[in-house]
Amino acid sequence: MASLRVFNPVARSVQTRLEPAPRPADLNGKRVGLYWNMKAGGDVALRRTQELLAQRFPRAQFAFYQGDVGWLMRHLTPGEADRIVREVDVLIGTTSD
Amino acid sequence: MTLLERRGIPTVSYTAQGFVRDAHRSAESFGLPELPIAVVPKPFTNQEPEEIRSMVDGAIEQVIAGLTQEVARTEMPKELVFLDEEWLTFDGDDALGAFQAMNERFLSYGWSDGLPLVPPTEEALERMLRGTSRSPEDVVAVLEPGFGIATVAKIAANAVMAGCRPEHLPVVIAAVECLAEPKMYLRNKAMSTGPHAPLLWVNGPIRRQIGLNSGVCALGPGAPSFANTVIGRAVRLCMMNVGHTYPGVSDMDTVGSPLKYAACVAENEEESPWPPYHTEHGFDPETSTVTVQFVYGICELHDFQSAEPERLAEVFATAALNVAQVPTGMWLIGRRADPRYGTEEKEHHCLFICPEHAAVFHKAGWDKGDIRRALHRRARLPFRLLMLNKEPQALTLAHPELAWLWESPDTLVPVLEDADCYDIVVVGGTAGRGAFFWGAGEPVTKPIQP
Repeated sequence: MASLRVFNPVARSVQTRLEPAPRPADLNGKRVGLYWNMKAGGDVALRRTQELLAQRFPRAQFAFYQGDVGWLMRHLTPGEADRIVREVDVLIGTTSD
Repeated sequence: MTLLERRGIPTVSYTAQGFVRDAHRSAESFGLPELPIAVVPKPFTNQEPEEIRSMVDGAIEQVIAGLTQEVARTEMPKELVFLDEEWLTFDGDDALGAFQAMNERFLSYGWSDGLPLVPPTEEALERMLRGTSRSPEDVVAVLEPGFGIATVAKIAANAVMAGCRPEHLPVVIAAVECLAEPKMYLRNKAMSTGPHAPLLWVNGPIRRQIGLNSGVCALGPGAPSFANTVIGRAVRLCMMNVGHTYPGVSDMDTVGSPLKYAACVAENEEESPWPPYHTEHGFDPETSTVTVQFVYGICELHDFQSAEPERLAEVFATAALNVAQVPTGMWLIGRRADPRYGTEEKEHHCLFICPEHAAVFHKAGWDKGDIRRALHRRARLPFRLLMLNKEPQALTLAHPELAWLWESPDTLVPVLEDADCYDIVVVGGTAGRGAFFWGAGEPVTKPIQP
């Protein structure tokens, strides 16, 4: 019988824990942001999302956003994030493949 | 999205089924594992509009629920294996059995690159740590995407597992510092669906002191490239076990790349007719440095015919004319950018020019700058071709002044932003064959501290 004692090679993470934002009961009367990160097809998905939500929540308003910086994939700058926080109540994104 | 949640904006993100673990893990690393997602069967990319609309129709209830239902603070399934124990014990019938037990367990945890790992025993770790003057508890960096705390001890353990010797450790530590540099934008390169592999080249006296190969078969495999191989492998293992870049969870590389196992060389400074790479970037020739450049792939720079520099540059420039490679013409639609740090990168290519070819250029009085300018002059493609795999609206956002190109689609456009986007390193043995790497962003160079 043999035993091998080895050092755990996996690093601990810097731990952060955030609270999710409180949700509205429905989207009527809400300003809905639609954020496209410029990956192909995301704009089509968001336009369809707007169509469906507008049918369900006729008093919802919509605004489109794209990242300020980036290339193949565009990202929100702090300034654009500030604008979104001012201008919308909820945000839908095509951010992850 | 987590940033906006923190600021009180409810969000939901469309996520393809194959990326759900990645999305949860990414959200977890930013402190909000429950971040709502709307799961669709496939990525929206490469789909016909009707197919995309259909996927949205199927996911719209998830979108509404994600925005209107309180997000439960439930314990999400852990996508990665983290153990609290600092030391782990493995048993076997004999030493080989214990070795196999460790390797099997590390494989099952996802902590292995797939090749056998050298056990980081207490003795091996202590021996490795003698390779640096730094304390084991020193924090070298916090490594993305997992925000792993890169202590010297954790880096040393991964260096042991890779097969490094103590004298290799300072290079690995400096390479980790390169990875953590904000401008490296490691999060993007580590997690991408593309085959971003860290390519290392070492300059300065340490090359000879630790036996790095800059000549025949420098990129390996083989005994002459032992130090190259284990250092490159250690950096990869650090990306995994320190930065938590794990395939299928936080590394979504579609096909993968053999370059990701290990890709490290030394510059052949002795046979280079030009000043070493690191001196072009402000370092003294006697300072040892490591440079890390993420690359998408490699192709050969073969030419046994040319004895004139213009002709050789013309051959080399053809390597940059591959539209299927991400960086080709990418500058037209912007720059790789990390808004958290306000960094931007130009796309760079790297050329390992062999001494034979370097001599052809040098004999004609060319320096590296002349080669870079010749490459930039020659590596051009029609605008129409460059835009085949790029989003037209991104061009409008990044370069509205270039909208006229749509009316002149045959205009020849440089594939990279400027001549300085070609990095040149002299590497290799005696024959007219070098290597070209399609780069991802810019290289980062750091001094190697003892």
